[in-house]
Amino acid sequence: MRKFQIGDRVTVKEGTSLFYTRVQTYTRGKTGVIADYRPAWVIPEDEAWGRDDGRKEPFYVVRFNQRDLWPEYKDQNDTLETEIYERWLEPAKEEAK
Amino acid sequence: MRSPAVEFEEEQPMISALVPAVHQALSSPPTISNRFFHVLMHIPHDVGGQPDIPRVYQDIPEVDWEMRTYIDCECLGWRGIWNSEERRRGENDLGETIYFGFPYYGRWITTAARTLISKGYITPDELNAKIDEVSKRLGVKE
Repeated sequence: MRKFQIGDRVTVKEGTSLFYTRVQTYTRGKTGVIADYRPAWVIPEDEAWGRDDGRKEPFYVVRFNQRDLWPEYKDQNDTLETEIYERWLEPAKEEAK
Repeated sequence: MRSPAVEFEEEQPMISALVPAVHQALSSPPTISNRFFHVLMHIPHDVGGQPDIPRVYQDIPEVDWEMRTYIDCECLGWRGIWNSEERRRGENDLGETIYFGFPYYGRWITTAARTLISKGYITPDELNAKIDEVSKRLGVKE
């Protein structure tokens, strides 16, 4: 059961990620849109430490506008897509009232 | 007149070599700031947003030791010793200096060795003895 659907606006959580992470620092606190689904898989917090039977979670392709990631970015239409798993996402801040 | 584009491409490696470096002596200080802790704990592969300039694309063919490293590491996964995400984490654990100082597959094979030791499959003295034996056989000098 997925928490987010294609088209949902999501904000990447800002949290500590000690020792290892797959969620790029430049996406933290930024808002994008769910562009596609990826199969559920063992989260890196478990898999990276050898827990092959660790917690599985849905992954998503999240699309950001480059301007939202880099304040000085020139082109307003360029986008960036990256795969992020569910625990790092929350409903977009401007919509969670 | 020389083409500025060609000129840039030719000079680019020299320009890259001019990237400013910050040198700060580190000697286990009694305290550090939260900010400096954060800087020290930076995860090497999380490079997005770091300033850099375009690099000239070089298509360097893979050589034997690189392919053997790749196959060894895949076999270790196949035999249930580790998984690829564990390897990537282990590469980051090498620290910024080794991470960026080693060739790509140098990071892989070093991480494989550390993992095999930490999981108890081999011992460091065994590995050291093997390295010495092979070095002697191949006549490796330095």
